[in-house]
Order: sequence, then C-alpha cells, then structure tokens
Amino acid sequence: MLPHILLVEDNALVIGALRLLLEETGHRVSDASTIASAARVLRDDPPDLVLLDLTLGGEDGLSLMNSVDATSGVRPIVVALTGHDDSETFARCTAAGCRAVLVKPIAPMKLKGQIAEWLAERTVV
Amino acid sequence: MTRAFLDDVSAERLAALQEQNLELSRLVAELRNEAALRTQFLSNISHDLRTPLTAIITHGEILRDGILGELTSRQKDSVGGIIGGGRQLLDMIGEILTYARGVAHQLTLTRTEFSIDSAIEQVCALNESLIAKKKLELTVTIEPSLPALYADRDKISHILGNLLGNAIDFTLPDGRVWIRCSRGASTERGHVLRFEVGDTGIGIAPEHHDLVFREFAQVDASASRQHHGTGLGLAIARKFVELHDGRLWVESMLGQGSRFFFTIPVRSAP
Repeated sequence: MLPHILLVEDNALVIGALRLLLEETGHRVSDASTIASAARVLRDDPPDLVLLDLTLGGEDGLSLMNSVDATSGVRPIVVALTGHDDSETFARCTAAGCRAVLVKPIAPMKLKGQIAEWLAERTVV
Repeated sequence: MTRAFLDDVSAERLAALQEQNLELSRLVAELRNEAALRTQFLSNISHDLRTPLTAIITHGEILRDGILGELTSRQKDSVGGIIGGGRQLLDMIGEILTYARGVAHQLTLTRTEFSIDSAIEQVCALNESLIAKKKLELTVTIEPSLPALYADRDKISHILGNLLGNAIDFTLPDGRVWIRCSRGASTERGHVLRFEVGDTGIGIAPEHHDLVFREFAQVDASASRQHHGTGLGLAIARKFVELHDGRLWVESMLGQGSRFFFTIPVRSAP
C-alpha cells in the first residue's frame, strides 16, 4: 500500500506541483485547503504524513494540530511548510509538535529523501 | 488688565492647547495605523507573489531532477534558467519586504547566544558553489577564544551573507574573498566583535562610499546588471547592524578591492 500524504495548502498551483512530485515518487496524496477539510481527512482517511502550510487564507495552519492529536491510530507525522525562513517560525512550529519545518520552495529530491526517512521512523515507532 | 481677564485668557489658551494636543495624538495614531496598513499590504503582496513563484520553481526542479524522465543537457540548462530566475525574484521580494518593515520600524531582534564560528561556517557553506563556480579563493580567519554573541543570529547571518554575496559578485574569477572576525577596540559601552568581509574585486571610488548604503542605489550600472539586486541589500545590512547598536562601513578604492567592516557589541545573555 502506498504511503498516504495529506497536503494542506490553499494555493492550487502549489498543490499541483507538490501533488505531481509526491505521486511520481510513490505516494497517495489527499489535499485540503482549509482546516475544516483537513480535519475531515484526518478523521476519515488518516494519513501517514501531513505537509501543513502555515498560512491558509485567514487561518493559522497550526490550528490543525488539535485534530492531529485526536487522530485515531498512529499519530501522523506533521511537517510545516512556510515561506518564512526565521527562527521564530521554527520555534513556533516545533513547540506545536511539528517534526520539521520546510521553507518553500522545497527542493524535490531533498523532500523525497526526507519523506522516506520520516516514514521509516514512523514504521519503527 | 484685570485678574478676571487674565484668568479668562489662560483658560482659553489651556483649552486651545488641550485641543491641539488631542489633534496631535489623533494624527500620530493615524500615521501609525497607516504605517501598519502599508506593511500589512506589502506582507500580503509578498505572500501572493511568492506562492505562484514557489509553484513555478517546484515544477522546474521536478523537471530538472528527472522525476518525470531524463532531460537533455540543453533542456536542463533551459529549465535551470527558469529556476534561477524564479529564485532571484524570491530573494528580491524578501528584500523588499524586509526593507518595508525596517522603514515602518517593525524590525525587532530575537536574541540568542551562539558562537560566531558556526554562523560564519554556515554562510560560507551556502556560498560554496558560487565561490567554486568563479574559482575564487575564500579564507576565513577567526580570532581564537572569541566570546559567544548574544544577538539575532538570523540577522547576523543575513549581514554576513549579503556582504559575502557582494564580494563574490563584484570580484572577477580567480580573485580572493575573505571573512575575518576579531575583538574590536573596547568602548565605554563594553567589548565589540569586529567583522571584515573583503575582496580583490572592482572596488568602489571613495566618493561613492556613502552611495552604496543608500536604498535603490548601485554605483555602476553595468555591474548592477550583473548583480541583479534590488539595491536594498546594503541598506538592510546597515539597518540590521544598527539594530544591534553596531556600525557598518566600507574602505575601498576603485580597482583595488573592497573591505566592508561591521561591529557588534558583545552582550551577556540575561
């Protein structure tokens, strides 16, 4: 079974690019552009990994973390996506329980390698 | 003049002054609000510009990395041009936003304690490929046993990255660039670290030393065409240094390379 990745992002162009990359590198992808729709995916079809954009229209991406914690079964790994390369953002995401913070645009081969590592960690746990 | 008349005049003047005071407070609040709105607008625009650029760059990198199949070398070059252009635009948008925040006095320092060795190492690693591409020689000299800095690491790295980036851009192939860090002369306010980022590049005529720190200014149009900057880099670097109560200056002669210096006061973590 292919690993399932939930992509939480509100821009169709970015979803298109990341979906292409993730599907071509052997993942099943769901996408959600709001916290509510992301929470539904977490409940109905729990992913192995969540790629979470921090700015979703007027919503703070990190407000999804409560739903992540409430996921039945193994908690998905959450990786934050942001355009802001600053220590304050990193600290906020780490405190909220994100496994890592990636600054967009993310290098495809790097993302592919890191996802493989995170998913392997999750299998071991 | 009677006492009653004088009392009336004083009361009138007091009322007028109170009214003027209120009006001034209202104007100050309005200006602050306008500055905040302007920064918010720039921040939104910046996000809106960055997002499609992110998609363009990611698509380009998917193609370049052969995820959809191998490209010929000429196709790779062409896609590389799309990616390079996109990344340059991203950097420029970032610079414009930082500058706007500086103008609106919305830049703050997030101080942490860190060793300057690691910050310099990181900046050098980020520029490694550019240095190799131009066949430049980079030397780093750090005085032993320097105290840790209690400063905003991101901003110190930004200053060093900007100065090293300029040194690389404005130095011809096979030239030399260097970073030095040592204890500066102590002042009544305590110790400072003194940084130098130098190069054997095209240099800057003394009459242009002030100009290079001015917003949107580049001394030589042909050099700026190669540099592709916003003309804000050094203005931002100076702002970041001044936020730390330091000083940034240049020593240079046309054709004889440049040496940019800055100082950062050493503070203890609370």
